[in-house]
Order: sequence, then structure tokens, then C-alpha cells
Amino acid sequence: MASEEQKLLVSMIEQFAKTELENATQKIEKERISKDLRKKLAELGLFSATLPQSEGGSGIDKKSFSLILMTLAKYSASVAYFTYLQNTLVNELLYKLSNKKEVIAKIGSGELTGTLVHDLNLNFQHEIFIKGLELYGTSNFVTLPDADVHLVMARSEGSSYLVITKPTSTALRKPLGFRGISFGTSIYKEKIENEQIISKEAENILQNHFLETGDQIAAIALGISEAAIEKAIEYSKERKAFESYLYEFQPISAVLSDMKGRIEDMKKALTLAESIQDKMFLKLNSLEIARLASRVALQIYGGYGYLEDLGVERYYRDSMHLTMLASNYIKEIKILSKEIISPEAFKI
Amino acid sequence: MSFELPNEIEETRKRAREFALKEFTSELIDHYDETEEYPNEIRKKVFDAGFITIENPWNMLVAMEEFCRVDPGIGLSALASVFGSEILLLYGTEEQKEKYLYPTLKGEKISAVAVTEPGAGSDVAGITSKLEKIEGGWILNGHKMFITNGTVADHYYLLARSAPPPSKEKRHHGLTLAIVERKWKGVNPVKLKGKLGMRATDTAEITFENVNVPNENIVGEEGKGFYIIMTFFNISRVYVAAQSVGTAQGILDLVFEYLSNKPASFREMEYVQFALAEMNTLVEVARNITYKAAAKVFSFNPDPALTSMAKYYAAEVANQVANMAFKIVGMEASGTKLEKLYRDAKITEIWEGTSEIEKLVIARMILKKIQEAK
Repeated sequence: MASEEQKLLVSMIEQFAKTELENATQKIEKERISKDLRKKLAELGLFSATLPQSEGGSGIDKKSFSLILMTLAKYSASVAYFTYLQNTLVNELLYKLSNKKEVIAKIGSGELTGTLVHDLNLNFQHEIFIKGLELYGTSNFVTLPDADVHLVMARSEGSSYLVITKPTSTALRKPLGFRGISFGTSIYKEKIENEQIISKEAENILQNHFLETGDQIAAIALGISEAAIEKAIEYSKERKAFESYLYEFQPISAVLSDMKGRIEDMKKALTLAESIQDKMFLKLNSLEIARLASRVALQIYGGYGYLEDLGVERYYRDSMHLTMLASNYIKEIKILSKEIISPEAFKI
Repeated sequence: MSFELPNEIEETRKRAREFALKEFTSELIDHYDETEEYPNEIRKKVFDAGFITIENPWNMLVAMEEFCRVDPGIGLSALASVFGSEILLLYGTEEQKEKYLYPTLKGEKISAVAVTEPGAGSDVAGITSKLEKIEGGWILNGHKMFITNGTVADHYYLLARSAPPPSKEKRHHGLTLAIVERKWKGVNPVKLKGKLGMRATDTAEITFENVNVPNENIVGEEGKGFYIIMTFFNISRVYVAAQSVGTAQGILDLVFEYLSNKPASFREMEYVQFALAEMNTLVEVARNITYKAAAKVFSFNPDPALTSMAKYYAAEVANQVANMAFKIVGMEASGTKLEKLYRDAKITEIWEGTSEIEKLVIARMILKKIQEAK
């Protein structure tokens, strides 16, 4: 269960989201997260939320940060993921692996933006390499390719490096979801300095970091789910068919209640998940619920849900995009199988 | 008993596949998806190639499947340019056929069916558009929603209330079907933009304000429009089932392509193989039930429960297969046609009768049989 302190924090974020996001969601999706909004999120300390206060962070505990992400995602999954990207994937890694205090501070203040480029959620390795001090290659799946700071995982003869750099060129394309954040391709071709290499064990470090923060992805997925189902319940109380409200029909109220119950269960699990295994299951199940809840919500809205204006189809796109960005089912179920059943599991 | 389609139909399928692969280029697919324009040039080519022929509906059915396999938005737009023609074929007068049906079947006109309203989608009997009788004809007032071909059609087959329902149980009585031309005074179609998928299809909201409808434009018997529309849905839902099968097959094609371009070790994983087996089975079953329902409809022996099963099941399969495909391909689906097919697939559970309505039809037909058996 969430503590009083956590509840207070969530209530503050909820207030912020109602003021700054609720009526701006469509604008964010069309024009992307503005500098102004970025500044406001930074002023709340969200881009260095989990860093210690002694290092200029907000000192928010990880559980509370998950609840913050869930709250933001109810209003804008783009904003929630952007916050996760800045705090967890960039600033936390920079803090753990480097002494780049100035960069951390600038990302924390929203002055600079950062992104992480890796291939751990792909079925196959991407083609970014490091040879000597030469970094080269391309990734076609970069969230925020126009970020100021890129943490790039590059491979080199059996090892993997994490390099802080900027791309030589970028190309943007319209993503399936999270349209409030740019997405596309980054090309790297440069001679780097030794100090730009912040880790020579990137794969292990990133893998562990993703496993440890899987509950944050679950939180975003649950925020999407909750928003979708709440919206559908609201609509079922407004829309009539056959002279009755939609919620009065048994199959509709059953599916909505069932979804709501499953989301509430997962929210409880979110506050309890401590082990890596718990967090992995939580992430996989929350992503599945998000895809299902958004499909149910769209179905309840019918034709209206298929139109961008009502904001329901966004949940449908965002839930699948989040799944693609943050999960690789085959790899993850393999890890879980080996841990739960036997190291010999999942090999054929 | 044979499960094979006649050679002539298989030949059409082959031609449709080749046509779609040649004409629905990636550039055009992206263009129509981005701009939401109606693909009129492709519609003309589809006509010229002879795919639109309701004399042998199997040809249109397999063309629908093959076109949607390559791109559901363009494919459906081109083939649905004769949308509703079966209504006139079955219920129209010779004059109505001369004026509206034959030019449509020659590709000179585009038709649309206008039933759904802002407040009445699944509940067809709940529509409120009104036809009021005046001397020499009718006055139409009303509001229609989500009308496919709404801003490009020359005429609509429109359902409106012409008499109050005799009782609560008989709300479907007193509805009349009329042919209304888009360019008539008082007809105002507005294109709806920003759809999740199927963005090459034209979708409109249309208001009708004091529109004069001549007597000769009433289709079938006055007050019996509900039955005409339900008969039509029995036909059109089979085509939507084919759209779903085509979309699902298109998704499978992309998964095959992905797997064939990756190291063999990936497709040798049994997890991947099982997923592949499940997806193929789902599509094959959806195709079979679609053909069975079509065989009944096209031989004038429709089975509404079977048609609804086909429409509901094939739509479910299209969406399920899309989800499963993402599980295999993952992030690499980004920027590919798989994303588009995922967006396109969702509509099949909504239009031409939601999955919930199909289930109601199926259940009612089964319960009727139980009742009759007693």
C-alpha cells in the first residue's frame, strides 16, 4: 500500500497533470513536448527524481517515482515515458557510471535532453560498433534521436561499451505511439575521446538496470490502462443503445468491471514488487493489461473511439508502442523460465 | 464435397494479388495513410481491371481478401465504391437501377450506405433521421455519422424513420430506405479526419436539412427499410470478414518475411514455431468460416448466424494475429507495415456491426432454434 507521503506526492503530481496535461494532451501529441512543459517537469524535480539530494537530485524513492509515472501516464503516456527516459535511462546511468555532474544537472533542469540507444530489446544486435576510438553505425529505433546527449551502447569484439556522444545525423519518423516524443534513426560516425566511454560492460549494466526498473514500465502501462478503462466506464454511463445505457448491458459491465479489478490488483502488486522476478512479471502482465484495456475501451467507444479527437485510440497505440520499446517477450520469458524452472529451461 | 474454390475464382485471386502488389506501392500506401485522401485513381484502375462485378460475388470476395492483404485502406476503398449496390439489385425498380446501379457498376458513379447516426450505431432501429411525406415526395431531415464514401459518393442508400414505431417491441417498423443524391440541396457531408487506421477510406458526417426526396427514390416497400438493411448486412458482413482474413494474412506475410530474413536459429525456436502455427491456424479457420458464410449468402440461402460468426471471428483473428506478430517481431516492427495493419485491423471489430452485435445475432438465432425444437 502507498504510504501517506507517497499519497501526498501523487496528489501533487495529479494536480499538476490536471492543470498542465489534461487539456493539452492532443497538443502534446501533435507538437511534441514543448520546452515550456519540459521546464515545468524539471522544476518538479522529475528528471533527477531518484538521484540523491546531496547530488542535486530530488531524493524520491523508487516506489514513489513509479507512482508518479503512473499518475503522469493517466494523462499523457508520452510525458510519463519522457520523464522515465530522462530520469531513469539517462540521469541514473550517468550518475552510476560517470562523474558528468554538469550534464546530469543540465538534464535535471531540463536545459538539455538525453536519450539511451541500445539493442537489448531487439531480437538481434543493432549495428553500432566501436573500434579503437572510432564509433560508427546506425540505430533505427531511437526514442528522442534529436536529444542533446546520447548514451550509446556500442559493441566491440565480445564486449560492449556505453559512450556519451551526439549523433552525426538523425532522421525522424512518425511512431505508432508516444507521439509527444520524437522517434527515428540515429547515425554515428566519429572519433571519440577516452573520457566519453563511461562503461566497458554496457550490456550487463543495462540489462540489470532494465530488470531493476521494470516496475517503472509497469507503472506507465497501468496509467494507460486505468485512463482507458475509466474513460470507457464514463462513456458507458453517457451512451445509450437500444434505449439503455451501455453499462446496463451485462457483457459490457462485466468486461469493464473485470478490467478495473485486474488493474487494481496490478496497482497493488506495483507497490509490493521488490525482487527482479516480481518486477519482470509485473511488467509483462501490466503491458498485457494495457493492450487489452485499450482495446476494450476502443471497442466500447465504437466508431468514435477510432477518431483521434476523443483520445481513446491513443491508448491503443501507446500500449503497443510501450510494449515494443520496453519489452522483448521472448527474451524475458526465457530469463524467467531459467530462473523459475531450471537453467536448462527454454533451450529448444 | 470439395473445399476448393473453382479455378475461375482462383484465377481472379491470383490476378488480384498481382494487381495489388503492382499498384499498391509502399509510396502510395504511405501517401494515402498520411494525407487521408480517397484513392480515386486506384479505384478507376480496379474498375478497368474488372475486379468489381457483383454478378459473380466470389470474384469481389477474393479480390477483397487479396487487396486487404496488401493494404486494407486502399483495397477496401476501391472495392467499396459500389457499396450498397446489392440493395438495388434485390429491391430496386428498373428505373432506379438504370439511374443509379448500372452507372455505379460501370465505375461512373460511387455509392454509399447511410444508416449509422451520432446517437444510433449498433441500434439501427434507434435512428432518428426523418422522412416526412409531402405532396409528390418526401422531406428528409437528419444526421448520419461514420458514412464510408460519404464525401465522394454520388448517392446514398439512406435509412430514415417515415412513421412512428407501432410499439416499443416494434421499433424496427416504420423505417424507409431512400436513395439520396449527395449534390442535392440540403445535403452537407463533412469528411472525418484523424482515424486510427483505414485512413485511405473516406468517412463522413452528413447532415440533411429539408432535402426533397422524390417518390421514385424510395427503395422497396415504405416502412420496411429495416428488413432491407438487415438483408444487406448479411451480404456486406461477409465482405468485412474477407477484409479481416486479408488483413490477417497480410500480417502473416510480414512475419514470414521477417523470419526469412533472420538467422535460421530464430525460427528454429519452438516458441516462435508454436506462435507461427497458432497464427496460421487462426487465419485458416477464419478463411474457412468466411467462405462457408459466403457460399450460403451467394447461393441465396443466407444463414445470418453463420454470417455473424464469420464477421465476428475473422475480426477477432485479425486483431489477435496482429498482437501475436508484435510479440515475435518486437521493436523491429516499428516503421514497418505491421504497425499500419495493427491500426487498420481494429475497425473490423467495429464497423458493419460491432462484435457485440454479431454475438447477439448468433445467440438469438441459436435460442430461436432451441425454442423451435421444443
